[in-house]
Amino acid sequence: MKFFIGNLPIYFPYDKIYPEQYSYMVDLKKAIDAGGHCLLEMPSGTGKTVSLLSLIVAIQANYKEKRKLIYCSRTVPEIEKALAELRNLIEYRTKCGEKDEYLGIGLTSRKNLCINSSVNQEKWGKVVDARCRNLTASWIREKSKLYSPGEVPLCNFYEKMENDNERQRMLIPDGVYTLEELREYGKEQGHCPYYMARRTIPFANAVIYSYHYLLDPKVAELVSKELSKDCIVVFDEAHNIDNVCIESLSIDITKPNLDASAKSIAKLRDVIEDIKKKDSQRLRDEYDKLVEGLMAASQERDEDVYLSNPILPEDLSHEAVPGNIRQAEHFVAFLRRFVEYLKTRMRAQQVVAESPMSFLQNCREVTLIERQPLRFCSQRLTSLVRTLELSDLNDYYALHKVAAFATLVATYEAGFMLILEPFENDTIPNPIFHYACLDASIAIKPIFRRFKTVVITSGTLSPLDMYPKILNFQAAVQESYSMTLTRNCFLPLVVTRGSDQVAISSKFEVRNDPAVVRNFGQILVEFSKIVPDGIVAFFPSYLYMESIVAMWNDMGILNEAWKHKLIFVETPDAAETSLALENYRKACDNGRGAILLSVARGKVSEGIDFDHNYGRAVIMFGVPYQYTESRILKARLEFLRENYRIRESDFLTFDAMRHAAQCVGRVLRGKTDYGLMIFSDKRFARADKRNKLPRWLNQFITDACTNLSTDMALVTAKKFLRTMAQPFERDQLGVWSVEDVERQERSNVGVGGRAAQFN
Amino acid sequence: MTKIINSNEELIDIDDEAQNANQQIGYAWEEEYKRSWDVLQEDEDGGLKHTVEHLQSRKRKRLERDTSIIKRGIIRHMFLIIDLSEAMLEKDLRPSRLDLTLSYAEQFILEFFDQNPISQLGVIVSKSGVAEKLMGLTGNPMDNINVLKKKNIDTDGEPSLQNALEMARSSLIHVPAHGSREILIIMGSLTSCDPGDINETIDNLVSENIRVSIVGLAAEVQICKLMCKKTKGTYGVVLNEAHFKDLLFEIIPPPPVSIVKSKSELVVMGFPRGVNESMPSLCACHSKPVSGGYICARCNSKICDLPTDCPICELTLVSSPHLARSYHHLFPVANFEEVPWSSAFTTHCYSCQMPFQTQPQVVKGRSNNVTSIDSSGRYNCPKCKKHFCIECDTFIHEVIHNCPGCLSTSENST
Repeated sequence: MKFFIGNLPIYFPYDKIYPEQYSYMVDLKKAIDAGGHCLLEMPSGTGKTVSLLSLIVAIQANYKEKRKLIYCSRTVPEIEKALAELRNLIEYRTKCGEKDEYLGIGLTSRKNLCINSSVNQEKWGKVVDARCRNLTASWIREKSKLYSPGEVPLCNFYEKMENDNERQRMLIPDGVYTLEELREYGKEQGHCPYYMARRTIPFANAVIYSYHYLLDPKVAELVSKELSKDCIVVFDEAHNIDNVCIESLSIDITKPNLDASAKSIAKLRDVIEDIKKKDSQRLRDEYDKLVEGLMAASQERDEDVYLSNPILPEDLSHEAVPGNIRQAEHFVAFLRRFVEYLKTRMRAQQVVAESPMSFLQNCREVTLIERQPLRFCSQRLTSLVRTLELSDLNDYYALHKVAAFATLVATYEAGFMLILEPFENDTIPNPIFHYACLDASIAIKPIFRRFKTVVITSGTLSPLDMYPKILNFQAAVQESYSMTLTRNCFLPLVVTRGSDQVAISSKFEVRNDPAVVRNFGQILVEFSKIVPDGIVAFFPSYLYMESIVAMWNDMGILNEAWKHKLIFVETPDAAETSLALENYRKACDNGRGAILLSVARGKVSEGIDFDHNYGRAVIMFGVPYQYTESRILKARLEFLRENYRIRESDFLTFDAMRHAAQCVGRVLRGKTDYGLMIFSDKRFARADKRNKLPRWLNQFITDACTNLSTDMALVTAKKFLRTMAQPFERDQLGVWSVEDVERQERSNVGVGGRAAQFN
Repeated sequence: MTKIINSNEELIDIDDEAQNANQQIGYAWEEEYKRSWDVLQEDEDGGLKHTVEHLQSRKRKRLERDTSIIKRGIIRHMFLIIDLSEAMLEKDLRPSRLDLTLSYAEQFILEFFDQNPISQLGVIVSKSGVAEKLMGLTGNPMDNINVLKKKNIDTDGEPSLQNALEMARSSLIHVPAHGSREILIIMGSLTSCDPGDINETIDNLVSENIRVSIVGLAAEVQICKLMCKKTKGTYGVVLNEAHFKDLLFEIIPPPPVSIVKSKSELVVMGFPRGVNESMPSLCACHSKPVSGGYICARCNSKICDLPTDCPICELTLVSSPHLARSYHHLFPVANFEEVPWSSAFTTHCYSCQMPFQTQPQVVKGRSNNVTSIDSSGRYNCPKCKKHFCIECDTFIHEVIHNCPGCLSTSENST
């Protein structure tokens, strides 16, 4: 269908549109026209992506300035889905007679895109990266020119692409390519899909990739630095964006890391000795370059607004690398000293939490290492690796980490904290140095500053005012949409007590109380009797899940549940979990039925969809609070209170509820789907908890369902399942056709009097 | 943190009391309590006529079905599979799922043979992961009913869909091509305990043209939905006792025949002679002395009941009324249309001669009169244009399957 918002003609690839999709577009357009950021909450599975894309593509096609769309999503399947949606839209536009020259491209890691059969067999992404670099690094390609062909292994796909690239500018014709199609195209042309995608980014109209390519400074510098200011940046599924920001600037150093670094340093020293004998000129060149070259680079940096790299902010780039680490062997000795220092610190027996400032102070006193050279550690190491033409970069991974750690410690003061934990679980000695970023706004600040419009959207962003606070930005539009449903296809139930009227809760004092554990078990058993196919149960943490499952086993509850459904458990091991998931799906498909026990915040709760029979019910056992004794969390809470005036309890509840909403949202992936959502903890009954749930979820929580005992919940649930099983007549209730949209548009203009203009 | 949580607790307790005080919904034991008398509303004369009419018109809606003439297979071979798992002990259907299922199954079998007299039916039950054939395919309803009445009907463990389906399949493979092959499952359990991959069984069923219909008693199970969709059967989940019966009885009209196997074929059938002897003689089917009975047209042996297969020569024995009764499925009576007040000129029902109500002159403001004012209570046969009252309408479509108006006019014309 085609309709207008203001003067903007919008092609929407479906015949009908939901009112919330329409208002989503109106609000999005408002934000883009105003040149501000926006925060929009709409449940997934209701056509959020397609509304977003239709509007932005319309803007791209009709506005004078050609704005690029940067669409960031979370997982590879989501990227794939968004690309497919975009292609569908462009096809529809072409069918309607619009002649867009549109290039949409997706980017993901080498592991997913590589088509070189000698490399893509590797299991780990890091190894694939390292192997790829061994075949494509500039010095290796230089070297191969000296030898006869075939003697130095190169990647044929990369070479062919480089050759073709010199002859013609465009590597790839217009169109939208999903990741799979990109690989196919690469195979056809004999081009490397990964590098092809990276080279194409500057010319593409739409780029769809993972958050990290924009937020993580280590990657962003490589991939995203040439993006212009007027790009429209979209973060989809952005409810975890603050954690991504924090993680991109946090580093954990463990004892094995340090040992590995020490080994790498020894190896580096040998290589330097070796090269000194054979080709000392190379080292001297590097030295000179470090004095002059960086100056040149920094000038270039001033001229253009590059994405500022948080490891190397603009103000640092003016200075050259300090004298005492310019010589390769000096730098290696310097690194060794630093690693040794960290090792001594790790011998401490109690927990240490200190600011970066005091760490540096102490470091200087003990080892005479100044702040300035530390700051350049990472950069200097990169330069050294390039000079020494090292292959097998995977071996130097730990050393890179330590260097990055050094750089970060020396660069940032406010918003960071160093925490040394000598023991795991207070007993097992396993010292870890956490360099924890406490302020999510640091990593995302350059994005907000650089791009005019940043759209943050997800199914669960409530309460909306929290995100502008913790990310420190001004939202031009922030809105939460309700959901139009042809039938009430999900039923949230808050179970506050068991059938024996004992209140249930996962709070610390009562969580191991046999009565509570038994009642939790009772809920599982009873629901496994009445719910068909799949049930997903979420626990607040692995630790709690383990203890409660052990107790259920003793009480015979597991045996009881086994009669009705198979039981699968999520573990921290990704391979094990995916095996469990596969079998879970199989059991749901063949009528046996299954229960998946998993953890809020785990892999399952974030990336896996349990649509239709894979999740007819989701049970939240307890409120998924974070582990409040965690020192990092404590430090972050304190930081938030002092700097953003967010109360600890507010933040904790906000965080718990967004994860709860995320978990229960897993079962509902579209309007023809249905599912039960069972919140079993008496704390969910409180209004302050419920208010923090997204609006589309809240609108269906009736007072009648907020304070139930297990047996009452069962009766309601049974009735619900029976009703939902009735054949679903697709009467398009609450769906708008073109006429409805036009009527709405007229009334908007009439009431608001705001005629949108092209800029 | 702990402090805050403690204060929460107090608040919740207060909430609890507030909730109990003004009871927005009932407790579990009140929930299913239907105040059926609230539906009844007296009119100004204290009568219940309008309400009854209203209820009947609702029932009439259900009866409306597709009346286009399609080829239907009236010779049917069906296995009724009954789940006897522990889930059948649930009491959410009164008196219990099992008791209700058995009594409905009995009614179903009787009605099935009444409407499809030349068909055959067998019964399989499944419990503790195994399937048991209680009765092979037979043309005699009483055999099936007796087997449900007496034999080990107790529940245990989980059902096995696959085993039961395979058992039914192995029997249905051998039936001749002119008859339909069908399986009806009454399933209370939400899980199935299968020895192998059930998807293979489903593929086999599809390739052998076996139609599987399922009535679920609890909730929608994906594999059942998939199976019914693939084999072109129906899948329904019951809402309550009445709906259970509706779903079950929907299976009774014979299904349309798929085009693929519609080659014409002749079926051998015998029309036995009815006898009434003064001296009882042994019948061939039960070896009991009976005085009345039928004599097989081919081998002259005596049987007690029709329809059935002759136990001696295996000839299908039917009586002509049986065949005639199957006939109405092929040429159903057209759905009657409601007559608006504007053309409600008739005074009496064409078939029962009861007077119709006249159009009220004054529209009263009473809310309980609205339904009766809307409809004239007359229903029009689209063929003969005669008007019938609602009782006759339902009776014509449910029982006699012939329109008296059409029959009388055709008599006059010939």
